[in-house]
Formats: sequence, C-alpha cells, structure tokens
Amino acid sequence: METQDLPRGSAEMVLLSLLEGRPRHGYELAKLIESKSESALTFRVASIYPMLYRLERKGLVDGRWVEKANERRRRFYRLTPRGRRALADQRRTWREFFAALNRITGFHHA
Amino acid sequence: MPDWNAFVRQRLALRVRPEREAEIVQELAQQLSQASAELVNAGVPEVEALRRAEAQVGDWAALAREIEAAEAAPRHVEPPPPRMSLWAGSRHDLRYALRFLRKKPVFALVAAGTLAFGIGGNTAMFTIADAVALRGLPYPDADRLMTMGAHRQRQPEIEIYTSAPDFFDLRAHTQAFTALAGISPVWNMVLSGGAEAERLECLFVSANLFGMLGVSPALGRSFLAAEDDGTHGAQVALIGYAYWQRKFGGRTDVLNRPLALDGSSYTIVGVLPAGFRYAGEPLASAPTEIDVWLPLAANPLIATRRSLRFLKVVGRLKDGVSAEQGRDEIRRLGAALAREYPESNGEMAWEVRLLREEALGRYRTPVFLLLGAVGFVLLMASANVANLLLARCAERRQEMAIRVALGAPAFRIVRQLLAESLALAALGGAGGALLAQLLLKVFVAIGPAGLVRSQAIRLDARALLFTAAVVLMAATLSGLAPAWRSILPAEMGNALGGGRTLGAGAHRFRSILVMAQVALALVLLIGAGLLIRSFQRLLEVNPGFQAKNLVTISTQVPAGANSPEQRTAVYLAMRDRLLAIPGVRKVAAVSRLPMMGSDLTSSLFAEGKMVAGAPAVEAQYRRATPDYFATMGIPLRAGRWFDERDGRNNSVALVDEVTARRVWPGEDPIGKRVKLGSPPDAQPWTTIIGVAGSIRHFGLEIAPQPAVYTPYAASPLVAPILVIRTSAEADAMVPALAAAVRSAYPGIPAYNVFAMQTLVDRSTAQRRFLMLLLTAFAAGAMLLAAVGVYGSISHSVAQRTREIGLRMALGASRGAAMRMVLGEGLRLTLAGVAVGWLAAGALTRLMQSVLFGVRPLDPVAFAAAAVMLGCFAILACAAPAWRAARVDPLVALREP
Repeated sequence: METQDLPRGSAEMVLLSLLEGRPRHGYELAKLIESKSESALTFRVASIYPMLYRLERKGLVDGRWVEKANERRRRFYRLTPRGRRALADQRRTWREFFAALNRITGFHHA
Repeated sequence: MPDWNAFVRQRLALRVRPEREAEIVQELAQQLSQASAELVNAGVPEVEALRRAEAQVGDWAALAREIEAAEAAPRHVEPPPPRMSLWAGSRHDLRYALRFLRKKPVFALVAAGTLAFGIGGNTAMFTIADAVALRGLPYPDADRLMTMGAHRQRQPEIEIYTSAPDFFDLRAHTQAFTALAGISPVWNMVLSGGAEAERLECLFVSANLFGMLGVSPALGRSFLAAEDDGTHGAQVALIGYAYWQRKFGGRTDVLNRPLALDGSSYTIVGVLPAGFRYAGEPLASAPTEIDVWLPLAANPLIATRRSLRFLKVVGRLKDGVSAEQGRDEIRRLGAALAREYPESNGEMAWEVRLLREEALGRYRTPVFLLLGAVGFVLLMASANVANLLLARCAERRQEMAIRVALGAPAFRIVRQLLAESLALAALGGAGGALLAQLLLKVFVAIGPAGLVRSQAIRLDARALLFTAAVVLMAATLSGLAPAWRSILPAEMGNALGGGRTLGAGAHRFRSILVMAQVALALVLLIGAGLLIRSFQRLLEVNPGFQAKNLVTISTQVPAGANSPEQRTAVYLAMRDRLLAIPGVRKVAAVSRLPMMGSDLTSSLFAEGKMVAGAPAVEAQYRRATPDYFATMGIPLRAGRWFDERDGRNNSVALVDEVTARRVWPGEDPIGKRVKLGSPPDAQPWTTIIGVAGSIRHFGLEIAPQPAVYTPYAASPLVAPILVIRTSAEADAMVPALAAAVRSAYPGIPAYNVFAMQTLVDRSTAQRRFLMLLLTAFAAGAMLLAAVGVYGSISHSVAQRTREIGLRMALGASRGAAMRMVLGEGLRLTLAGVAVGWLAAGALTRLMQSVLFGVRPLDPVAFAAAAVMLGCFAILACAAPAWRAARVDPLVALREP
C-alpha cells in the first residue's frame, strides 16, 4: 500500500506515534515505518519530508539540527506538547471509529 | 560518491527562503546518501544503488510542489504561557550565567571562594548559636525543667548546690514539681577485676532523672524507684553508650554483668542511648560522655550532714505551674529549712533557674557576638564580590547597552546579572557548607566543654536552610548594585559611545564599597584587639598560688571515723601513701580550694573595731594543714604559718592581705584578736599569727576577697580536699595519686580529681575560645579588605594607564606615579578607618561584659587595629603602584 492511498490524517498519526518515544530523524522514521509495518506500508521519501514540514508548521513537531561526535549533523524531530495532545485526540477518534466498525460488521481489528 | 547536496539542488527547484532551502536540500541529501550507502554495503553496485535511492524520490517536481505547499502553511505560534512576564527565560539566564563563569574560571573561583568564606563562617556560627540560644535542650518539654540550689546570701557569684538532706526535704514537700532529681559531681571511680585497673567517670543520679528527661535506655532498663530508696542504693549500674562500645564492643549480653567499682560490685542493668548527656552536668575534667551512672542512694556522701552541699538538683514543673510559682515554693521551703536548721541553712539563699539558662546561658553573649562578627565578614565578602562583578560589568557594558537598545527590558538585564551572582553564591554556599563542617569539627574539638557536652553541634536541616537564606542574601547583596548600575541611562550612553571604562559614578560607587569594607574590617579588628588585650590582662593576673604541677583530690573520711584523732589518722594515712609515690613533694589538706566554685564564709569581728549595728567583715573561711601554704605556693607576708603548736589548745588564725588591709589599715595585724562567727558573743577570741598572700578563689577575673584560715588540727576535716605538689608533670600522675588515696582506707572516695592547671585553664577557656574565634574572623576580614583595596586600586591603575602615560610623557617621574596610586589607596583606607572608628566606638560597648581590665574605647586597641589595617592596605597597593611606575609612556599612549 502506498502512503497516498492512506487517509491523510492516518499518515500523520503514524509519524506522530513514532516520535512519541523519542526524537528521530527522517531517515530513521522511513526505516521504522518500513520494518514495523512489515513492508505493508512504504513511505516514499517524497512524502515523509513534506509531511514533517507540515507537522512542524502546525506546531505538532519541532525539528532541530543536532550534532553528535563522529556523526554528521542531522535534523531530529520531536513531539511538542501540542503534538502529543493531537496524537491522543487522533487515537481516540480512531478507536471510536474501529469500535463503530466492529459493532456494524463484527470485524475485529488486530 | 557524488556531492549529494549538489545532486539534490540540481533536481529540486524550490521557491522558499534561501536558508530554509539549504536546510531542506541538506536533509534530503542526507536521506539519499544514507540510502545509497546502505545499498552499497549490502552489495549492490554503486550505480544501481544511486538509481534505487533516487527512485525513492520519484517525481522531483511533485516533491517540490508538496514541500512548497507545506512551507506555505501558516506557522502555528505557541501562545506565551501566562506567567511569562518576570520569570520567562530565567532558566536560560542561569545557563548563560553558568557558561559565563565556566569561561572565567579564575574569576569564578576567587568570587565563590570569597563568598564561601563568609557563608561557611555564618553557617558554622549559626549552628552554634542555634544550639546555644535557639533550639533549647534536647529533652521533651525542656523549658519546664528547672535547676535549684542554694548559695550564701552575700555570694551570688557562687555556683548553686544542694546538700543531700536538703534535697530529700525538698523532694518530700514540693507541690509545684512532678519530680526532683539529684545529681552528684562527676565521680572518678576505679574499675578493677580486669587486666588493668581503669579510671571511669561516673555520676550518681536519682532513679527518676531519666524519666524526667524523657530518656529510655537503648538496652535493658532504667533504675527502679526502689533501687534509689534509703541510704544504701541497690548495687546496679547503667552504662553510657560510648563506654559500652569501647569496653564491651556493643554486645547485648552485657546486661547482668558485674562491674567492680572502687571495691564494690554493681550489676549492669541497662545501656543509655548514644550521645545522651545531662546538660547541667557539673564540673568535669574532659569533654567525654559519662561512663557509668549509679543510683544516687549508692553515693558515699549521701548520708552526710546538711552543710555539705554537693548535689545539683533538677525538677520538672507540674502542668499549669509557672516557673515563678515553682521558684516561690522552693524559696518558701528553703526559708522553712533555714528556720529549722539555722546552723547550716541560716544564711542560704535559694535560687531556681531554667536548666537551659544554667547549662547554656553564659555562652549566649559570646556566641551572639561571634554571630555578629561573621555577619560582618559576610557583608565584606559580598562587597568584595560586588566589586569584582562591577569590574566585570565594565567589560560587558557594550553588550548590555546593545541589548537594551535592541529592546531587552531592563529587568531582563538585571535578572541576568543577578543570575550570575546567584550562581556564584550557590557555588560559594556549597564551599561554605564544607567549610562550616570543618569549622564545627574544630569547634567540637576545642570549644568549651560545657557547651560541647550538653548539645549535639552539627550541621542539620535548619543550618542548611539558613545557608540557603545566606546564599540568597549574598547573591542579592553582591549582585544588585552592579546590576542596577549597568542599566543606568548615563552608563548606557557612555557604553554605546564605545567607552569601555567605568563612568565616574561607578568608580565612586566602588570606592564607597572598598571604604565600607575597610570600616567593617576595622570594627572586627578592634573587637578582636579588645579581647586579646583582655586575655593578656587575665593571663597577667596572679592567682596567688602556683597551679603548675599541683593536683587536687576531694575525699571523705569513712563514716566510722568520728573522733578528731580518727579523722587525723585517716588523713595522715592518705598523706603517707601519697608521699611514698616518687615525684610527690608535698601533700596538704584544706576545706575549700580555689577554682572549684564553692566557698564558705565566716563573719569576722576584730577586737576594738566592733561597732554596734555595723556589719562584720565577711571572710572566706578555710581550715588548712600547716603545709597547705607551702604546697600551694602561697607566700607569707608577715608573722608565721601554722605549726605543731597550733591545735585545739590555742585558738589562732591566719588572715590574708586583703583582710589585713581592710580591718587593720596601717597597723600590724599580728597578735590582734578576732571573733569568727556570729553572734560574736558566743565565740572565743582568736589570735592572728600571720598574714598570707591573697588568692583569687573564684577565678582569675574576680578580685581577691578577705580570707581567714584556721588550723586543721583545731577541728580535723570530715571531707578534706587534698592538694599534692608534684615534681613531674602533674597530668600524668593523676591516676596514680587517686589510686593511692583510695588504697589508704577501704571505701574511701576520690572525686573531683584535677590537675590544678586544668581548673585555672577552665576558668579562662571560654574567654580564650572567644578571643581565638573573633581574631580568626578579624584576620579573615582584614584579608578581605586588603583584597578589596587591591582590586579597586589595580583596576583603577589599569584604567588610567593612558593618563599615567600622558603624565609621564609630560615629565612626571615614576615616583610621582607611584605616589599617586599609593595616595589613592591611602585615601580610601583612611576614609574607611574614620568610619570604622565611629562604628566601633558605638559597637564595642556591647562587648563590655566579655572584657576584662580593658575599656571598650581602649585607645591601644583602636590605634593598633588602624595601624595594622593601614599597613595591609599599603601592602595591597604596592603591586598596582609598582605597575603604575613601570608604565611606558609610548606604549600607553599608543593604546586604543
């Protein structure tokens, strides 16, 4: 499945939830999405970066250049408090959505 | 390996701000480079890897559009948190301050070290003051505990004691106190049964003492009331925690073990908790914990007569009874005793005092004096740091001015500078806490025993809280002035104009700071000088006897020795045993010994001088063996000493010089007759056979008072105090001497065993301690003042290099430059000295009670302090003056 096929909000939610634990850089995010979804989702670089920039403009994530010893300078993204709240909201919406879906179809999501 | 940044930039055409574009390009370049590198590592050929990495992007134009769309979205601005105003960014300020201090480590160390000195001293003194005056004694409801005792009506300076019969009577009749407990003097007893006999410090106390103080044993039980009934206490003992650890290694099977003390066997029934001390503990030789506690009823003196006052009594007031009511009751009971037993109690006045006052009251003035002194030191340290910060500010004025010009609110600047002084003070506080710890260790080691014994003195939460407060104060004091100066509009304009030197206002302000420091240091130096002079005066005082190599032991003849002959026999047995010890030169006995805090007086009526209604001369009354005077080293002024002729058959006496001068001014007292005791009609005539030198009985500070001596043989003593003159160092012989006394007769006690010098030193110990501390603080203050002068003058020289160079170019000599700098330093110092003199003149009056033989306005102390401070100030100016003299006019004038 390509990201373009996912509902727009869900791609953002994927990124936000990956940043929940700790700050990460773009490449790491792409790799993580690939491995965690067992390659069911493939983010194109093309879509990750504009998405991060949009989240940043919205104040949901905060990007900073970080320099570590023996490593090149990288831009790390971390969740802002506002991003954390947005993630919680989206989670609740999705949970309600799945619950409704369940009731109607008897379908269990994993 | 391609240049990825160039690679991305070629393909991605973005219409965003150039800085932002650079960031995006770099980020994408990193993505591609890492993706391709990973593929190459996995074995994919480089060209293929490049292709696959680029394939991740797909359509570059589409990506550019998406990024532009994202970047065009309105930026969300976080609304400011509501409490922004004053504190916003304060963490940033603190970080900035720490960075600044890291960059200037020498400055930070000097400033923080200066503050540590002030803060450490304050924390240590606060801890002591807290223990002495604020915290109270470490017992529950300690302000309900009172001590009581009696002294002769006309001798309020004597320590109060109670005799055993009086104590029992008070205890039987009191309504105001829930309980009264008696405490013996520290008793030196010999522990036998082990490999080597050991001398232990013991106290005999009433069974209810521990309950009254709210103390329960750490192990075993306390004394039972039944064990303290009658006059033969049960043979039980409690041991002190330290002794338990030292002797028994803290083993719990110590209970029920026997303890052979002075030939009697006691059973250990309990161990007192660690650190337990009785605050009112009487005269003791060493600042240690009591080893063994025994029931009062087991004390050998407990069945003695009413006139032998040796007990300290403590009582707890009943609920609802005021201290005043308690005092009234004891005075009433005392008056009843005086009516019933006029012989022994007729002239006694009863005192009831707070235990806390009795134990610690005499330390209050010195401790608050010292607390004030360290307060001065802290002020000076803060002034020094303020001065250093001011100098720093001068260097950073342009930075500050530009920030203000760019719209930084003034309070932000002030806050940032305060953050710096706070960081310094916090650093100083940490150092100060360590220093305080050290100072307190020293204090506990050398401080007055009475103070160190009765209270645990250590850094605790209260002290650290106090330190925190002091840190804040120091930060404010040292930081506020520089911060305020730096935002003055005049300063700003000057700074923006490119000036890097301080304006005249700031210079004047720094001068005032230095002057204040000099003044404060002078006040401390004068205070220390007054104490040093007092102490010198005290050491010059001749006590009237030679304390060196003199040992004293209090003892008591056995109950069976009733006749004068028997008492004399016991005394002679003790004397012979003592004289048999190598190094013992002379042995004598007396009824009252100087420096032991107790006395007995007698009314003296001289023949032909008795005027009806006029008061008699109250003379200190002592009975002494013939060799007492030679043993003590008291000189004979006229007539002769007692000898074997004198005894019960002839009634003779010696008087001291003070009596002779007062009663027979201008006459020879030898052969004159007196009556001793009141009423005179009932007394026989006594002939004066000699005049002895006067002695200071109560301490070096109290002038000799009239004294009269009668011969031992006239009425041999029941409780003789032995004095022993040794040829060797007296301290080392003390245990052997006490053992010899005990061996003379079974069950004979030996207590209050002291080297006489210890007693004399004890009477000056508190003063010595106060003097040492204040001198140390004053020395530190002087150093701080010198540093202040040095800092100010050398800064001024650095700033005036051009001026000095110009003067030299115009013909001024090096000497003139030097004189100019020295003159500036001297002017500052003299102004400080003038202010300091005025302040000291007002403040030294508060010291009156701790001075001896010196007036508060002693000109020597005032002058010496000023001269000393002046010398230090000139020394502090020497280096800057030298630098000024070496200014090269050419170099100085070329400087920007």
